[in-house]
Amino acid sequence: MCAKVQPAIISAGFCEHASKRSDVNMAEMVNEAVEDTITKAGIEWKDIDCIINGNMPAFEGANIPELWMTDHLAAKNKPLLRVTTGGTTGGSVTIAGYYAVASGMYDMVLAIGFEQQSCGSTTMGLASVALGEFSIMPELGYAYDKLVSNMGAGAAIGIASYQAMSYMRRSRATEEDLARVVVQNRRNAAKNWYTHLKMPTVTIEDVLDTPYISFPLRFGMVCPATDGACAMIFTTEEKARQIADIPVYVNGVGSYSNESAIVHADCGGAGQVDPSEQLGAMKSAEVAYGQAGISFPNKEIDYAEVYSPFPNQELMWVERVGLFEENTAAEAYEQGITALNGELPINCSGGVNSTNAIGASAMERPAEAALQIMGKAGNQVPKTVHTALGHGWGGAVNLITHVVMSDEPQRKWR
Amino acid sequence: MPLDLEKMEGDIFTSKGMIKADFAFWVGLAMDKFYDGIKEQKFIGTKCSKCGKVFLPPRNRCGDCFAKAEEFVDLPGTATLKNFTATPWKITERRVKKGNKNTLVGLVQVDGADSAFITEILNTTEDKLEEGMKLKVVWAKRIKGHPQDIAGFEPVGGA
Amino acid sequence: MERVGIVGYHQVRPELDLQMSPYECIFTAVRGALDGSGLKRKDITTVISATNDYYDGKTISNCFKVSAGGAYMKDESKVEMDGAHAAQYALFRILSQNHKLAMVYGFSMPSCMPFESTRILELDPTFDRPISLMNGYATSGMQMRAYMKKYGVSEVQIAEATATNWKNAAKNPLALQEAQKAGMTAAEVLKSDILASPLRELMYPLLGDGCTALILAPEKQALKITDDPVWITGVGNCQETYYFGERDLTTSLSMEKASEAAYKMAGVKPSDIDVAELFGFTACEDMILAESAGLAERGKGDSLFAKGCLNPSGGATSGMTPCATGLNRIVEAVKQLQGKAEGHQVSGAKKAIASGQIGFCAQNNILYVLEGGN
Repeated sequence: MCAKVQPAIISAGFCEHASKRSDVNMAEMVNEAVEDTITKAGIEWKDIDCIINGNMPAFEGANIPELWMTDHLAAKNKPLLRVTTGGTTGGSVTIAGYYAVASGMYDMVLAIGFEQQSCGSTTMGLASVALGEFSIMPELGYAYDKLVSNMGAGAAIGIASYQAMSYMRRSRATEEDLARVVVQNRRNAAKNWYTHLKMPTVTIEDVLDTPYISFPLRFGMVCPATDGACAMIFTTEEKARQIADIPVYVNGVGSYSNESAIVHADCGGAGQVDPSEQLGAMKSAEVAYGQAGISFPNKEIDYAEVYSPFPNQELMWVERVGLFEENTAAEAYEQGITALNGELPINCSGGVNSTNAIGASAMERPAEAALQIMGKAGNQVPKTVHTALGHGWGGAVNLITHVVMSDEPQRKWR
Repeated sequence: MPLDLEKMEGDIFTSKGMIKADFAFWVGLAMDKFYDGIKEQKFIGTKCSKCGKVFLPPRNRCGDCFAKAEEFVDLPGTATLKNFTATPWKITERRVKKGNKNTLVGLVQVDGADSAFITEILNTTEDKLEEGMKLKVVWAKRIKGHPQDIAGFEPVGGA
Repeated sequence: MERVGIVGYHQVRPELDLQMSPYECIFTAVRGALDGSGLKRKDITTVISATNDYYDGKTISNCFKVSAGGAYMKDESKVEMDGAHAAQYALFRILSQNHKLAMVYGFSMPSCMPFESTRILELDPTFDRPISLMNGYATSGMQMRAYMKKYGVSEVQIAEATATNWKNAAKNPLALQEAQKAGMTAAEVLKSDILASPLRELMYPLLGDGCTALILAPEKQALKITDDPVWITGVGNCQETYYFGERDLTTSLSMEKASEAAYKMAGVKPSDIDVAELFGFTACEDMILAESAGLAERGKGDSLFAKGCLNPSGGATSGMTPCATGLNRIVEAVKQLQGKAEGHQVSGAKKAIASGQIGFCAQNNILYVLEGGN
């Protein structure tokens, strides 16, 4: 089963990422990524007939920033939609870009995900996901700053540690396995031009030699907070064949959401006992593979980018999205199967673990996967990549995006 | 303070508090120059490399051409009033409040610029305001390189 | 564009201070839309919500709304603009043929937040925002001044149009109760305090907590679900520049372009339109939007109020729920085409337009062409 109009990605562009892009304001920063993707696509900016943009609002303290940034988004007097879904924003914008073309309504869609985290406080931005729910705690004697540091701690650590514990108990993965994932990502990042934490010589010992933030997650394992933007151009199959050397056909998308893992204000949520179970990810992957005509993802997917700000998540995701059997991912990493020259390379871009501009990172996963298919990635794998996936995660561990791409369009079943 | 849960049964409980959420925005390439200019009590705009439109406050991209607007141009302190309103309401990021007196708010186009911005009109009254009237900038007493250094604009030739 | 059917809807009547939690409110709307159309949650495959983190005072506020919105284990996403924009994304999903039934909902609770302050957060943070003079009142005031001057429209004319909106709201059973002012007169409007000259308090809408849900289906499914689908035959979306000084406030360029695109898609002309439900903050803006959509000559928008074919529900004046107001306009237009606009029916309505907006003075407009009957 495939969409009415077959969408394809013809370019993926980025701005320079850094912990503080202090030289530019938000609009100028996003404009860099927009210019990069338009230049790489080789199209005229006037040809763009729809713009879809997203970021995670809490980090810049700006509401619907597209309004201010219209001119810089190449959106003046054009149709524009803002799609924001927290950590999965970039993936949701990607999927919206796919649908804008698949609907037949627009032909050349610019999709952008960005974040300038240095404008705000990442801890506050993340803590305010559930501050309302926890606001009763200070009344019960729990000091506010202790509350925020235990919930937030520089990243969504609170829930992530529970998720890590559940996963490690199931799979018997060790802290060393986690550190190995970090080493692979950070060394990969060193070879990719726009990434944040480039560590070409980091070792497992280096990572394990850092203090715990919240067991089992150590300081050296956690993703950074990055300023950055990513932009992609979606078009029809017909136009893609004319414009791009290797069009990247988007053949399957899924964004199935689970209940939130935090008990929220009126006692909804938390139907999940095990946050590493991730039913939403499994269903999103199943549906996306089905649309793309993929029956055996572990054999048919040549390359994958999964969204893992924390290393335990990388091991968990590659299993959940069907690339490895349950509880075997750690061993696969140890055997080098997921390395650059392995059978199934994962996150050769450096992943979210090395670069995390939250609004952009879930787009950078399908963007990097698309670049691998095009043969134009910053850290390109040696084998030919025909089919790849880009996955995103966020929310109260319940939001997911899954995008499956290939150098062959998915033909309609007759 | 410990809650008396038995006493509270049936009541709706309210928990109040303030959360600190500070933001600081990088002004960027164009506005950085603008604020340098403000420190010297002069206006600096940018010019589109393609159509020649001049923007104040400056921005590095023209929306119509999508071309770079990176050439900085000096602009005078005189302007024209394009539109205006008088309002007793002060709306900030935190609150919406009605004051006792009116603020005169104007849409002001500095001479030589093709864009106008919203600023305060000073030293006159609403009934004297008219679209097309000539204005000049009034700088704040203490210049800090901050948007409020532009205290506002006043009519040329007195109120 | 193949026509897409609106097969169900439910509007939770807005209230100044709705005594429901956000989740109860959303559930009521979504559940109501499902029950009202005889559909089950399992029939829905995709949900697009319209909420705003700043209106909700919470980051990723949508991740908690998954269950209440009927989206548990469904393919869902969110548009952070007006609900009418979320409807366009749902439209994409239906037209793509990947989905057969889409739920759209828009929600906010302005009683829990200073709405006009959240609009300050939309401003350019490098200049306009710290100065804090550009806000909803000042911009609407300047819009009114420019429009009146250019076309010689008087304060009285705008006040009459405003009074018509309030009186229409009184005929709309789903209007905010405090907005139902059956006895409103132009004189009373003109006596109200100035918000930002020449705009007065009674010219600005009241905010209400609420939620509205809409269900979309492709043509084949729509005909099976209901005897009375209303068809979306065209849509247009356009965003002007932010820079206020570069916009012509006497017209709405975004509405001109959005309506042009929507009419073209639907193969209709403005003269084919029987009724318009347009989201303007003020009656003056309603007039500018209607003129920009080609429904009246410039400066003559108030004649549409007199004719009774513009905002028979009262428009945004009937109660403004950020993220839902545009969806309410769509629902009201649907009711007109189905003959179900209790108390405020425009007779013989066959083709309608409905719009949503976001940004100061409708910087972004989205317009739908809707047609009734099989």
